[in-house]
Amino acid sequence: MILHILLLIAVVLFSLLAILLRDLLKSAISLAVASIFLSIIFFMMNAPYIAVFEISVVAGLITVLFISTVALVKKEEEVKESKLVNYLFPVFFVLFIIIDIFVMKSLIGRLCVIKGPSPLGNFSQVFWKERTFDLIGQIGIIFAGVFAVIALFRKVNSDKDKDNHE
Amino acid sequence: MSSHWLLYMGFVAALIFIGLYCLLTMRNLIKLLIGVEIIAKGLSLALISTGFVRKNILIAQSLTITFIVIEVAVVATALAIIINIYRHTKSLDIRKLTKLKG
Repeated sequence: MILHILLLIAVVLFSLLAILLRDLLKSAISLAVASIFLSIIFFMMNAPYIAVFEISVVAGLITVLFISTVALVKKEEEVKESKLVNYLFPVFFVLFIIIDIFVMKSLIGRLCVIKGPSPLGNFSQVFWKERTFDLIGQIGIIFAGVFAVIALFRKVNSDKDKDNHE
Repeated sequence: MSSHWLLYMGFVAALIFIGLYCLLTMRNLIKLLIGVEIIAKGLSLALISTGFVRKNILIAQSLTITFIVIEVAVVATALAIIINIYRHTKSLDIRKLTKLKG
């Protein structure tokens, strides 16, 4: 349990570092480190498939996407962040955590999150047989993402489009 | 068992607060997307830890796989939009986007 708490503190610290660092490359890398710690927590919670997904997709693929975007947008001038909000952060942080603990404590008997009998069998049976509709939704989402990226990087070079723009 | 759940929910609240703070105060577009990522981390931690405490980890895992797929699609689309915005305005500042032009 103590190891869990230490790893969770590491996740929170690296996420905090990701938003406080000025350099975008460093903040993307610290986001990846935070998700590596999160995947260790998932592995200790008996969820190995999610740990693999987290470490390969979130820590790998999303970091590659962020770094390639940072490389594509070469900045001339730094975007200035306002200084005042940095001092307000700890106050609101503690306030938010306290409010959250109180709300969760009052809700703890009434929530029915993922209640009910746990399904039998192993993970692949549950994933492929009981949650088949989720798979169809995932395929739709992946195609939507692919088509959105294709539509956003379409080149405008035909004469017809030029006429329309003029 | 419920005290463990409260502990996990405290960390989930910390992650979600960091993400919301980033969304509210930062002006760099890529930083805003990093905030969205941190909120997504908090939500997947909430799903898995609830499944772990309730001893129902299989359904929590399959829900979280769906969530991660959605997250990747959102990030890819948003980064493509950010690159297009940069080509138009030559800046990553979100305040440059307030001017509407036909």
